[in-house]
Amino acid sequence: MRSSTLTLLVAMLVAGGVAPAAVAQNSSGTVRAILQSGPDVGQRAPDFSLPWANRDGVGPIESPYQLASDRGKTVVVAFYPRDFTKGCTAQMRTFAEQYDSLFGPDVVLVAISTDSVETHGRFAKSLGLPYRLLSDPEQRVSKQYASKDPEGYNRRTVYVVGPDGRVKFRNMKFNALDPKDYSELRQAVRNSTRES
Amino acid sequence: MRGWIIIALTTALLVGSAPDLAAQESGIAVGTRAPVVAVNDLDGKPVDLGQYIGKRPVFLEFWATWCEQCEALLPRLRAAQAAYGSQVEFFGVNVTVNQSPERVRKYLQEHEPGFRPLYDDQGTSIRAFQVPATSYVVILDRTGKVAYTGSGGSQEFDGVLRKVIRN
Repeated sequence: MRSSTLTLLVAMLVAGGVAPAAVAQNSSGTVRAILQSGPDVGQRAPDFSLPWANRDGVGPIESPYQLASDRGKTVVVAFYPRDFTKGCTAQMRTFAEQYDSLFGPDVVLVAISTDSVETHGRFAKSLGLPYRLLSDPEQRVSKQYASKDPEGYNRRTVYVVGPDGRVKFRNMKFNALDPKDYSELRQAVRNSTRES
Repeated sequence: MRGWIIIALTTALLVGSAPDLAAQESGIAVGTRAPVVAVNDLDGKPVDLGQYIGKRPVFLEFWATWCEQCEALLPRLRAAQAAYGSQVEFFGVNVTVNQSPERVRKYLQEHEPGFRPLYDDQGTSIRAFQVPATSYVVILDRTGKVAYTGSGGSQEFDGVLRKVIRN
């Protein structure tokens, strides 16, 4: 009985796309769960390949963006809910306008949502985004990176992948309006580029 | 029996965690007590919102100079201050993302929103109020409870302001 229960428990967690990192109970008896998965700091970032668009239009279908092709560089992978929404517009515009200060010329930034490449193209053009927006409508990649929310959109998360292909930093609840989150990201990118 | 308790508990944890993930863009809940925080002004001096929260109605708008919805909201904001400015504290909390104090000062001079400007370069209030977007408005009643939240350029908050003044 006990082993079947455990098997079922594990199956439920796997089906939910999460792995339990910790389960805690506070003094008032409220059960809190910290459920996170996706590559943690120090782990290898799963490779992926997705179609893209930027301010110049939709990228060639035969040349999707592949994370592994930027091995040797620091890559920032940002998951976000939707094009043309307020929070995402604030975040993407800030990334674009503060690119040099946040990332620098040698860093690659890619942002991933469920929008189509056509929508990405319009969004990128409207904001003049110099970086690629990747299309992941089936949330295959966002699931790998624990950035899939239960409602079919992406959660707002940010990963910094170092030149060695390993995760150097991640923020699993990036707030598009919080200056502290941008400061921490800036520092993480600097630390990663310094290592290379 | 024990096994099923574990399963039920795990299910509750999984289901219970979902709203947190989904709610990351949703903001502070109406009816909850507002957090009392200090936020810097444009000169970097902290302003303790505890001087106002829980003592009289408070209106907070989280804004940025680049926010089109915030600009669209300005006429309603000015009208509300003209009508209720003596009974409600109006604050405009600049989110500081992609902003500078100089840029904000210039905007205030040109647009005269009327509210008392704050510059949350530490993100204290943004985290405390779980601000999901610029143009986000939070109205607190005189007991410090959240009476209204909303965002966008066509928000209607006149009725809520009348109610928090009356009660």
